Amino acid sequence: MSDFLEVTIDKFTFRVDQSCHYSSEGIWARMEDGRVRLGLSDFLQQRSGDIAFIDVKPAETLLKLDDEFASIETVKVNVMLASPVSGKIVLVNPALDLKPELINQAPFGEGWVCEVEADNLDADRQRMLDADTYFKKMKSEAEEEVRQK
Amino acid sequence: MNSSEKIAIVPCSGIGKPYGTVSRVAAYQVTEDERPEQTRLVPLALLVMGDEEYGRIVAESPAITIDGCSQACATKMVLQSGGTVIRECSVLGTARSHRDLKPQGIAELNEDGEKLADALAQEIVDVIDACVQPSKGGSHA
Repeated sequence: MSDFLEVTIDKFTFRVDQSCHYSSEGIWARMEDGRVRLGLSDFLQQRSGDIAFIDVKPAETLLKLDDEFASIETVKVNVMLASPVSGKIVLVNPALDLKPELINQAPFGEGWVCEVEADNLDADRQRMLDADTYFKKMKSEAEEEVRQK
Repeated sequence: MNSSEKIAIVPCSGIGKPYGTVSRVAAYQVTEDERPEQTRLVPLALLVMGDEEYGRIVAESPAITIDGCSQACATKMVLQSGGTVIRECSVLGTARSHRDLKPQGIAELNEDGEKLADALAQEIVDVIDACVQPSKGGSHA
């Protein structure tokens, strides 16, 4: 069971899963059984809006660090998702084909995007942010957006 | 339902995003052009304000809601008003079936937005036609 950091800013509540590492753009990575599962953080999905479509690179795709592993089209924006790890995509969440809204509904759970066999996990993990650091960064960005409203 | 009962059409009242506008354009098409005899447009804002007349209409009539985003305000408000939702339509759902259409514009939709509204209106008309039974011996136009 995951624990979450949580903050409410304006009318929005954002959660950060403490079991994950994060890219600065808000992609989470959870290490499980030698694989890395990737998804969108709660902040990234809320900021992007309701997801209409997602295109995920197919299994067997080789990724270098920061390569696009998926792209989303929301009611507001199109977003390219950059991989925080290098390696090979080994599994794509099949549920997203019919229900991309799972990313909005359960970004850290059923809305995961894909799993990667990482080439150099230790180095990639060192580049990523831990949950506490990402939480502070996300909070600061969210507060700044509210100030700019 | 019987043929004399009108269906309440309750669109999203969101402003500032094309999907909200698509929901309202589709609602106008259905209630003014396609099936004016079988439907009645209900402004969501009046339901939120607790308007007695529209509250009664929604409580007594079957409703088709058209939500512009996942907040689903139209559906929630109809249920909260004691109404019965016979179909929850969503602009996002229709958009997923028409990926080539990219709605833009808020006060005025672009051509893709108009096409998406047409597609949504047709979905709603299909639901209405499936619900409205012709009276005995009568014909249904």
